[in-house]
Amino acid sequence: MGLGLLASKAMRPASRIFNSQNPRNFLFRTIVSKPELQKPETSAAQAQPDPPPVDLPPRTPVAGARVHFPNPDDAIEVFVDGYPVKIPKGMTVLQACEVAGVDIPRFCYHSRLSIAGNCRMCLVEVEKSPKPVASCAMPALPGMKIKTDTPVAKKAREGVMEFLLMNHPLDCPICDQGGECDLQDQSMAFGSDRGRFTEMKRSVVDKNLGPLVKTVMTRCIQCTRCVRFATEVAGVQDLGMLGRGSGEEIGTYVEKLMTSELSGNVIDICPVGALTSKPFAFKARNWELKGTESIDVTDAVGSNIRIDSRGPEVMRIVPRLNEDINEEWISDKTRFCYDGLKRQRLNDPMIRGADGRFKVVSWRDALAVVAEVAHQVKPEEIVGVAGKLSDAESMMALKDFLNRMGSNNIWCEGTGMNPNADLRSGYLMNTSIAGLEKADVFLLVGTQPRVEAAMVNARIRKTVRANQAKVGYIGPETDLNYDHQHLGTGPQTLLEIAERRHPFYSTLANAKHPVIIVGAGLFEREDKDTIFSTVETIAENAKVVRPDWNGLNVLLLNAAQAAALDLGLVPESGNSIESAKFVYLMGADDVNLDKIPGDAFVVYQGHHGDRSVYRANVIFPAAAFSEKEGIYENTEGYAQQTFPAVPTVGDARDDWKIIRALSEVAGIKLPYDSLGAIRARIRTVAPNLVHLDEREPATFTASLKPASSQKITLTPFENVVENFYMTDSITRASKIMAQCSALLTKK
Amino acid sequence: MAWRGCLSHNFKELRILLCQSSPASLTTRTFVEKNYKDLNTLNPKLPILIRECSGVEPQLWARYDMGVERDVRLEGLTEEQICKALEDLVKIGESLKA
Ligand code: SF4
Ligand code: FES
Repeated sequence: MGLGLLASKAMRPASRIFNSQNPRNFLFRTIVSKPELQKPETSAAQAQPDPPPVDLPPRTPVAGARVHFPNPDDAIEVFVDGYPVKIPKGMTVLQACEVAGVDIPRFCYHSRLSIAGNCRMCLVEVEKSPKPVASCAMPALPGMKIKTDTPVAKKAREGVMEFLLMNHPLDCPICDQGGECDLQDQSMAFGSDRGRFTEMKRSVVDKNLGPLVKTVMTRCIQCTRCVRFATEVAGVQDLGMLGRGSGEEIGTYVEKLMTSELSGNVIDICPVGALTSKPFAFKARNWELKGTESIDVTDAVGSNIRIDSRGPEVMRIVPRLNEDINEEWISDKTRFCYDGLKRQRLNDPMIRGADGRFKVVSWRDALAVVAEVAHQVKPEEIVGVAGKLSDAESMMALKDFLNRMGSNNIWCEGTGMNPNADLRSGYLMNTSIAGLEKADVFLLVGTQPRVEAAMVNARIRKTVRANQAKVGYIGPETDLNYDHQHLGTGPQTLLEIAERRHPFYSTLANAKHPVIIVGAGLFEREDKDTIFSTVETIAENAKVVRPDWNGLNVLLLNAAQAAALDLGLVPESGNSIESAKFVYLMGADDVNLDKIPGDAFVVYQGHHGDRSVYRANVIFPAAAFSEKEGIYENTEGYAQQTFPAVPTVGDARDDWKIIRALSEVAGIKLPYDSLGAIRARIRTVAPNLVHLDEREPATFTASLKPASSQKITLTPFENVVENFYMTDSITRASKIMAQCSALLTKK
Repeated sequence: MAWRGCLSHNFKELRILLCQSSPASLTTRTFVEKNYKDLNTLNPKLPILIRECSGVEPQLWARYDMGVERDVRLEGLTEEQICKALEDLVKIGESLKA
């Protein structure tokens, strides 16, 4: 006899008793009025002896947070519900409770924003204080006895909830925030089961904040998180609080769009459905979505994202916390480029026929044609270009394939025709993105971080706000969202600083943690070696690179760049494309197509029908970053990988698999046929790329390099990113990005 | 030391993999510090890729024409032995050409 039968026998009488109960109990809930709720007395007033702390089980801080003591002498001890915790001086009561493992409900408090203290949801009781205190705004004092679970605290929360819901519309069924709404969750957890409000609810006119953020301002609870985010993090002073009392509203005063590259983050920080995503409006409910933790590839920062998908469709992209890279923000390009993944996709292998039109063919035929052409040309006439969005695996495969064909002409877009990939310090952000926070002086050379890497710019802005860091900028007129000094537009100013003639030199030399950031746009310049050695001279004179501090950085532009240089995608000759007969474009859409000779055979492998498709003879459809597993290294040398969130489109394949198949058809089979095997191969070229989620810093600095003897030209630095919203094939295919560039870019 | 100038004739790419801090990579690090400038000046067009990665065993990789590669493990070698290993790799390149 099975145990299950025994168990069911044992169960039967119990269920009978259960059934025999009065069914009315299930239909009507008895209303229990708790006496403690009716007559709250400060429990602090009742002299309770403190329970001995030894008996309490150890608690873990909320979300496993760790406490950092900047100065061990400054540690103080407070008691949260009788449990003693050690915290550094200056922490608030709310933070102390978090360390003690008690999550305090809140609306206005946000750990990355200044404290407003205006929602009153975080009220707790503190012994000897006559009234409950707003824990987010109250500094913890030594020996403070905090009570988070008393009738007074509960009553206070219930009251706050009732006030908030008074003017909050009953919108939940048609609200996009439903399911991930702080107000919804907290009213379930702490709210009362009824309201006493019978008057009319107030309503507020919706504001137009542009094509990205949808507003339903009646839902706003005036927590001012969005205002604080805009002024503090995004650096735009557009949003503000208008009016008083029940006339209070969030708005822009005069009708104005929010022109910030970080505006999408207000969607995440708004605790209610007042600010939601416009492109995502009414598209899906959050519980229907499958989240895939992945990496962003629209710039070289490698922001951590979660791709939310439903079936084969990417529904939205939201940030994931990574303190070292993007904290918890992402740029608008990262967040809203996803509709580009559904448009202009290549889904079948195609060959251009004699009439100039593309014909769909099978993979076998397409590969055979390409392999045959590749064997007909001389090795030095074969050229390969990796695109901005290529992952490390595919670049490795392409390089190995071309090398085996006898060609050494392979490079990655944006690294220039004469890249120097020898020392990693020469192309990485050596200070690391998080390390920028220590800096007190910045010198930006030919880089506009605001459009090139919005998250790095947010760090610089954070540092400028926190340390009053000075920023000097050399380059074309630009709009940086922090105080800066425009020192000049070209190499002339750089030379002056190098020769210590410029007043900014002394600022740099006197700084404790000076940082120089050189833009990767300069890689394309003829005189880049000299410019770099001029910067290195400045760095040496001003002691920017010391054993304990490396402040000399390069800010890369594209997701593929760092890995491409690490893998040694360095062309043997600088003008091979002009004499090429066989050009392999792996997602490369920004190569100058006019340079490719008319009789050259062009293979385009990629996921979007973008610029290069017009010149291609054969098209291989490949997977986009949301559909494959691929390693990307960010600008600071931090290797991470994407994960497939949705299936590939049509007959498309992973990039490296296409090249592997081509090599087999061409008779020079590459020795790997699994992801593990190709990563093992990468390990013999750039082992740091397979050390995932780790930053491998470069140790050898530029001082090892011989001096350059090139002539410096005095042509001013140029804008590298013309349009922040459209930089690659995915963003160029995106409708939302097109709207943004039409409305938000300054003309 | 004439072979040092012939690196670019024989190699397509030279890779030095090492760890930033481990004692096993110590001699390789000093080798790079002492020789990189010289090798780079003599072979300005040759990519000499120095790749740091924590915990990796020091290695020297040479890529010849047609994607052929040879490697030498450098753990436990002195600086002179590393120079010698590099010279041997150059010789392999010559024999591959012949
Ligand atoms: S719009 Fe949202 S974030 Fe802004 S004040 Fe209102 S509730 Fe807070
Ligand atoms: S969270 Fe403390 S007052 Fe709003």
